[in-house]
Amino acid sequence: MATIRGEQGAVQFDAAGSSNATIVGTRSWSLTTTKETLDTTKQGDTFRSFIGSMISGSGTVELVYDPDATGQAAFLEDVITAADTADATFELFTTGTSAGTDSASFAGIITDMEVTSTVGELVTVSCSFITSGAITLNLQ
Amino acid sequence: MAAADLNTIRATIEGRLATELASSPAIPVVFHNMPYEPTPNSSWVQCLTSFGSSEYLGQGSTSSAQNRIVGLVVLNIFSGKGVGPGANYVIGKRIRDLYNRVNVSGVFFDAPIGPEALASPAPEGYFQTQVRVTFESIEEL
Repeated sequence: MATIRGEQGAVQFDAAGSSNATIVGTRSWSLTTTKETLDTTKQGDTFRSFIGSMISGSGTVELVYDPDATGQAAFLEDVITAADTADATFELFTTGTSAGTDSASFAGIITDMEVTSTVGELVTVSCSFITSGAITLNLQ
Repeated sequence: MAAADLNTIRATIEGRLATELASSPAIPVVFHNMPYEPTPNSSWVQCLTSFGSSEYLGQGSTSSAQNRIVGLVVLNIFSGKGVGPGANYVIGKRIRDLYNRVNVSGVFFDAPIGPEALASPAPEGYFQTQVRVTFESIEEL
């Protein structure tokens, strides 16, 4: 058994979707993957039955704001991309940064960006995203 | 980026004090692990810098990662005994102003605590107050 600590994680991103690079300063990420279901229950059945249908995902990335940190500006400012074609690519790692290993990867759109500045605390940024297209999970 | 050099942080903190107290009126200042024999009834300052627990600030294991390093500067201010606190607090203000919410070379100083008068000065024979300043620095690996 090998447990993993949150600090081993990382987020890679590329606004153009060509070459993901690690964003310095990420503090946490989350990804929720949801599968819709279709009811296939027939008359005469005693128990309901379903089949899986469309799959979608959404999540958040939280960062400790640093305007000079590699990758942060491109990530935060992607939220103001007009008519976003969902060409940005994400890879969320539970540990390490080896592409396709211990990660979830997908194309997506940043839908929300919130900067928080509080006396006595570091400035943080929280971004929300939704996935677009296939989600590839390599969490084994 | 590279791991933080704690000796550089220490030098930043102590150098700022040494420069200030070298200006008129000059006040002797002594740091950790330095011998000093104070002149009776004179004013002098002892500066003790120490580092505390660090914490994870961001993800990334040993690369593309950030840690928060925190520490404490304890400044003991000694002045003549039996002549009131005024001279001591004048030094205290100089020191407090030196660090109060200042950001120097990536070292962030918080609002200082003190000067607080100590009932049992060490060494004896002086009036002693103490200023304490917590600080933090962000380490980028």
